[in-house]
Amino acid sequence: MGRVMAEDAFEAVVGAHHAEIRRYLLRITARGSDADDLSQETFLRAFRAYRVLPPGANVRAWLFTIATNLGRNHFRAQGRRRRAYAAAAMEMRPDAPDRADGQVLAEEARTRLERVITGLPAKQRLAFIMRKMHELEYSEIGASLSCSEESARAHVFQALRKVRRSLDGHLPVEMESRS
Amino acid sequence: MSQYPQCRAIEPDLLSVAAGEAGAAAVGRVEAHVASCGSCREELGQYRALEGMMATVRRAPLPDDDATLARAQLASRLADLRSRMVGFGIFPSPLGPILIGRSEQGVALVQYLPAGGSLPARVQRLLGEDAVEDRDATEGLRAELVEYLEGRRVRLDWPLDLGRMRSEFQRRVLEATAALPYGAVTSYAGIAARIGAPSAVRPVAQALRWNPLPIVIPCHRVIGTSGALTGYAGRRVELKQRLLAVEGVKTVAAHHDFKVDREAMYTMVTGDTEYCVPTCGSLLSRSLSTLTLFGTREVAEAAGFAPCTSCRPDLHPLPA
Repeated sequence: MGRVMAEDAFEAVVGAHHAEIRRYLLRITARGSDADDLSQETFLRAFRAYRVLPPGANVRAWLFTIATNLGRNHFRAQGRRRRAYAAAAMEMRPDAPDRADGQVLAEEARTRLERVITGLPAKQRLAFIMRKMHELEYSEIGASLSCSEESARAHVFQALRKVRRSLDGHLPVEMESRS
Repeated sequence: MSQYPQCRAIEPDLLSVAAGEAGAAAVGRVEAHVASCGSCREELGQYRALEGMMATVRRAPLPDDDATLARAQLASRLADLRSRMVGFGIFPSPLGPILIGRSEQGVALVQYLPAGGSLPARVQRLLGEDAVEDRDATEGLRAELVEYLEGRRVRLDWPLDLGRMRSEFQRRVLEATAALPYGAVTSYAGIAARIGAPSAVRPVAQALRWNPLPIVIPCHRVIGTSGALTGYAGRRVELKQRLLAVEGVKTVAAHHDFKVDREAMYTMVTGDTEYCVPTCGSLLSRSLSTLTLFGTREVAEAAGFAPCTSCRPDLHPLPA
């Protein structure tokens, strides 16, 4: 019967997207255990709704939407704790060992990048990670954040501006070519 | 750059160009602008460097990027969810809107709905939070049920999911009720006797009141000892009368209720193998709690019973 086929199709959905959705959740929560829980919850929710998903729907973007909503609920519930973890994770980063200057600079810049991203407002941060780490379309990001494509682009650009400003003086190479 | 309006205006294009998302027109605008604006040229360089850095971060392995545990847990939670999950459909029927729900195990729920087809809280509770509307999963059941209600089918051989029973007692009551043949009628006391709890007449009536699978588990074939239908689906005893009429059971109207006309019913002592006309011996004066009634000879014989050899209902049938 139809149900069995739907289940097989869902197995394929899990196989194709679970690892990436977990990676996205890992990036936005910064904790493996949260990514484990939320990725499972994402797919359980998806399974409940999968049958009524219109044929031809963009399954990957739909899963990002579910994961984003779960992530935002999670932040709301655990806002303070999450920030505490993030801060602790930054503090515990070991000092860069002796390395070539350029490498140390890049490492430092990346640490700063992560810290700036952690400190962004939720929508900017999620939009930024979806765009720059998972290369979603702005329309897909807009659907995930319940906003327009233009707003999604604006969130990413706002995030980029803040990141650039906060990295001023820490960006490698191309900034050296000031005229 | 923010001090000059033309710099502020070009910034979105600048970001698009750095990210490699810009169209030819934007690229042209940015090139023209940065040719004469040093600070925007510098910013473009910074955004490009930033994009490069993000590409590196994107490709770099993430710490803790191991989905094995989550995948294994997900597989077992999905299996559990599937076994519990009910797909349901709502459709019109000769008895008004009806909901049918099925799980992986079988048909889990049949419920009459109020006109308009809205879901009462009780039905929502029975469905559980994992229910999804899935008309395809119940379409075959719907077709068979409609045939049944129109008298074109006498059996609903559906696998049942009895996971929504309220108690072991209710399960026993419903199993005894499910064994009542098509077109047969007995009393609440009769069911109580069948499950070995002859004094539990009211609990039997309660158990049938909360039958999650009416029609399929034919609680409409269970009536009061007086012969009165007594109640069905809340206050909709007329549905019970219609279901019984489809099966050939004759009833007469009796203030706000209906009564099975015992003199028009073939009668059998429960546990016996032969059915009689109601006037055989002292049958008419016996309590319904020890009897099973049949509307027609055909349904009695289809259920495997033989005509009594003394009153010979085969030779002297009741007037149709």
